[in-house]
Amino acid sequence: MTFWPRSSVAKKFLNGLTGLGLVLFIIIHLAGNLLLLTGNPDDLNRYAHKLESLGPLLLFAQIGLALFFILHILSALTVYFDRLRARPARYAVSGDAGGASRKTISSETMLYTGLVLLVFVPWHVISLKFGPGMAQGYVTELDGVAVRDLYRLVVEYFQNPVHVILYVAVMLFLGFHLRHGFWSMIQSLGAYHPRLTPLWYTGGLLFAAAMAVGYLVIPIWIYMNGAKI
Amino acid sequence: MTTLAASPKLISKAPSGPIESRWTRHVDALKLINPTNKRKFTILVVGTGLAGASAAASLAELGYHVKTFCLQDSPRRAHSIAAQGGINAAKNYRNDGDSVWRLFYDTIKGGDFRAREANVYRLAELSVHIIDQCVAQGVPFAREYGGLLDNRSFGGAQVSRTFYARGQTGQQLLLGAYSAMMRQVEAGRVELYPRREMLDLVLIHNQARGIICRNLVTGQLEAYVGDAVVLCTGGYGNAYFLATYAKNSNATAIWRCYKRGALFADPCFTQIHPTCIPVTGDYQSKLTLMSESLRNDGRVWVPKKKGDTRPPNEIPEDERDYYLERKYPGYGNLAPRDISSRAAKAVCDERRGVGASGKAVYLDFSDTIREKGLDYIKEQYGNLFEMYQHITAEDPYRVPMRIYPAVHYTMGGLWVDYNLMSTIPGLFVLGEANFSDHGANRLGASALMQGLADGYFIIPYTIGDYLADASLPKVKPDQREFRETQAEVEAKLKRLLAIQGDKTLLEFHRELGLLLWDYVGMARNAQGLQQAIEKIRHLRQEFWQNVKIPGSNDMLNKSLEMAGRVADFLELGELMALDALQREESCGAHFREEYQTPDGEALRNDERFSHVAAWEYAGEDQPPELHKEPLVFEFVKPTVRSYK
Amino acid sequence: MTLHLRIWRQAHAQASGRFVSYTVKDLSPDMSFLEMLDVLNEELTKKGEAPVEFDSDCREGICGTCGFVIDGVAHGPRRGRTVCQLYLRDFRDGQSVTLEPFRAKAFPVIQDLVVDRSAFERIIAAGGYISVDTGSAPDANSILIPKEVAEGAFDAAACIGCGACVAACPNASASLFVSAKIAHLALLPQGQPERHRRVLKMVAQMDRENFGNCSNHGECEAVCPKNISIKQIALMRREYLTEIWKNFRAL
Repeated sequence: MTFWPRSSVAKKFLNGLTGLGLVLFIIIHLAGNLLLLTGNPDDLNRYAHKLESLGPLLLFAQIGLALFFILHILSALTVYFDRLRARPARYAVSGDAGGASRKTISSETMLYTGLVLLVFVPWHVISLKFGPGMAQGYVTELDGVAVRDLYRLVVEYFQNPVHVILYVAVMLFLGFHLRHGFWSMIQSLGAYHPRLTPLWYTGGLLFAAAMAVGYLVIPIWIYMNGAKI
Repeated sequence: MTTLAASPKLISKAPSGPIESRWTRHVDALKLINPTNKRKFTILVVGTGLAGASAAASLAELGYHVKTFCLQDSPRRAHSIAAQGGINAAKNYRNDGDSVWRLFYDTIKGGDFRAREANVYRLAELSVHIIDQCVAQGVPFAREYGGLLDNRSFGGAQVSRTFYARGQTGQQLLLGAYSAMMRQVEAGRVELYPRREMLDLVLIHNQARGIICRNLVTGQLEAYVGDAVVLCTGGYGNAYFLATYAKNSNATAIWRCYKRGALFADPCFTQIHPTCIPVTGDYQSKLTLMSESLRNDGRVWVPKKKGDTRPPNEIPEDERDYYLERKYPGYGNLAPRDISSRAAKAVCDERRGVGASGKAVYLDFSDTIREKGLDYIKEQYGNLFEMYQHITAEDPYRVPMRIYPAVHYTMGGLWVDYNLMSTIPGLFVLGEANFSDHGANRLGASALMQGLADGYFIIPYTIGDYLADASLPKVKPDQREFRETQAEVEAKLKRLLAIQGDKTLLEFHRELGLLLWDYVGMARNAQGLQQAIEKIRHLRQEFWQNVKIPGSNDMLNKSLEMAGRVADFLELGELMALDALQREESCGAHFREEYQTPDGEALRNDERFSHVAAWEYAGEDQPPELHKEPLVFEFVKPTVRSYK
Repeated sequence: MTLHLRIWRQAHAQASGRFVSYTVKDLSPDMSFLEMLDVLNEELTKKGEAPVEFDSDCREGICGTCGFVIDGVAHGPRRGRTVCQLYLRDFRDGQSVTLEPFRAKAFPVIQDLVVDRSAFERIIAAGGYISVDTGSAPDANSILIPKEVAEGAFDAAACIGCGACVAACPNASASLFVSAKIAHLALLPQGQPERHRRVLKMVAQMDRENFGNCSNHGECEAVCPKNISIKQIALMRREYLTEIWKNFRAL
């Protein structure tokens, strides 16, 4: 038995399962990021420091997260290539049936919004996580210990309007991705309930909006208030 | 009654003795084939409806090698799928006094004493096993809250013995038989040949040994060899053009077999179903049936006044004529199909019909809605009401439905003996394609029963008896008989394409349909029938000189497919009229205006016509030869069929 | 009324097709859509042109034979109906309408609007049945099935196998068709013994037939003439994943 699933159901299960992991991550990540808005730089730095001090545990989580990210992309790409193979001749007129359909701009652009995130995430990680650290002078003192001043890095980073605009745009794409992705993930895992599924579907819209707004508020807020900090 | 000697061609092989044990004793006497030898036999099953799919599955389970042919793109699409109402079985689950005997009795009486007693008893007996079989296959019949099977009563029956699956019983039964057949496809014992139309039968030493099919995608003619041929190709009601049949239902397979020597029995017994959606406009391509179960809760009426054009809701109660309840108080709106249809025609002929065409009667649910509530109607008939609304754009919850009779089923078909074998050795005929069990009129919910009884429980036994005894030398698809038959088929197709006249097929088919409807429809008379025969002959001549068929023979060409079918209907139509002319009595669906009681009821003539009329082809433009199989009633004494 | 039609014409499977425009006049709103095509074909025949080939049989929405795509929607503008159940009153006088065949690798075009759906047959043959030989069934009422269960199974069993789900799916997935059969049999007590084997075999066959994956667009449910819900797809996934999990634990 090879590791990579060959069946269409398993591919989508893998996509849904990794999607679930990534959804949990973005929730936690947003919660952490909102510490930027408390007004006290120590809040974020303390949180970041705590995470760093987890050591091998953190490494393990990071590798797991990267693996989920990669598997999510690979499973999505196979679905996409299957689609190209399954419908070589396209329709001249495209239409929507409406009614019970859940086909939306979001569902039809999953690959593209996903690819945007694929480009964004490494850029984001390189410029902030692996960006300038204590050696480059981003140091602050926390309970007598010298730690990385991540807060200052982020605030400086979002003084650049180009960064702000790009981040806001990407977060809108994230919202579109989640609008279909959230409920689709649950359906791909095989969960269906006559009353809950409509809730998930509507909930998916609210979740997507919450995530997109939650994330894009941060760069905007920092840009607008950064000079004062 | 004078005893008529059976034609030597028509040996029914029906056993004698006590009716209850005839079938079991017959089975005990049938020859068997060793299981290891069964796979050496190839059976060609033509048609994959209820009869064909169930026969293919059951024969393959026994070990025979089966090849199935259908003209649809998938065997699951045969027109059995459209049967709505249900399937009868003498289970007596309701404790309302039903029994095998009563189902037998009802079917014989419903058929107006024109069916073979032994066959009908066997049908009633096997009905019980059909339900068991179908449930085991996963057919989702309607259930009660306790988990037991639900039943309802159906047109012409006073007990509740009809099993149903919403309004889609035929579909679910067919999918059950189809799935059983697909299991045998996986097992390698059934080969599917979809998009194939059987165009001729190949006889070798007067045995059915193969068929010639047209591959409907490539146009190629293909020859298939078998040790027996089982025809399950359905009825011929599309001769009338407008009918409840599927567009591709046709008589070609049985008609070509008739021309190869199989006798055609009782072609004039064609059923006209009382509850169809009336015709609108000239372009209509088919009629849609509304399940007869609607008559359980709907009341049929027309205005008392002639030419009353008021909308139905404005006609007061005392100006309405609930004519079925008035004329047949015992059965009321549930009177059998032939009687209800004729009564509808009678009131429309009196100019009391409703709707724009005046060719419709009301089926009114307002009393039931008042008594049992809207929810009850929605649960029972929701999908039928929806269908009616789709088609007519009228809301039957508020306005009474308009219904009118339409051609729906043909009781006639190829003559078969008790083993379901035609007069050609090795040619078996099952389901609606044969003439067997319904006599002159079929009761509701018994077509599905017959198709499945034939396929699941009769042919698996009887075919072995033939194969065990027959001398079947090895034949090849390129031997002389196959080549000759194929050449004839090819010549006919070429001839059709070569005419290139200026009338289309549809024009000819519509014209034939109207002729048959007017003269060989719900009411017939000698003069009309003679005229019909003349007119059909003229039309046929004109067809062969002036039809225009586009395209070529070496491609998918639906016009060419249809052309062969219409050409056959043009011959069969004449035989239907001839049979109706010769049967000088009124029985079941066959109503001769000359033979009726003073109050307009059918007048049977058991003295002269208690027989099956089977026609033998005598050659192009030769009058066919009539053979008779006497019908003897030992257990049910023929009485005047009264539903009053 | 008048309709302007743009119809996909393709002479045979290997030919390259193209759209051809036709105008059909003097139509009645009470005609069915297919009767309108019959009229067009009569006109074409009389003019000596090749009629437009399309599949249809029962013309009452139950056999599953008909089906093509009207203006990008399988079975056209009305929900819960097949093409043969459309009437011209569902269209506007003078409307322009584009007709295309169902498009999927697994459904090759045979001619014009006629496609080959035999892939469905092979999927059913892989396991879409309950193995019961004729004659071996127990009394029908010996199997108790609660009304809700029978109704639930019926909802899935109502599939007519028309293939509109595949045609409408942006991925050309057959999941709705396959799951409908799996659900029908998995819900009934009679279907239990083969339940596990069935889902594995049918899904494997579906994948062999070059259908795409289900991405939960739900367009299939919207075009399904029998309103079969994508809840059946979720059920199929549960059945399948349970089996994979069991096999995995057995290792």
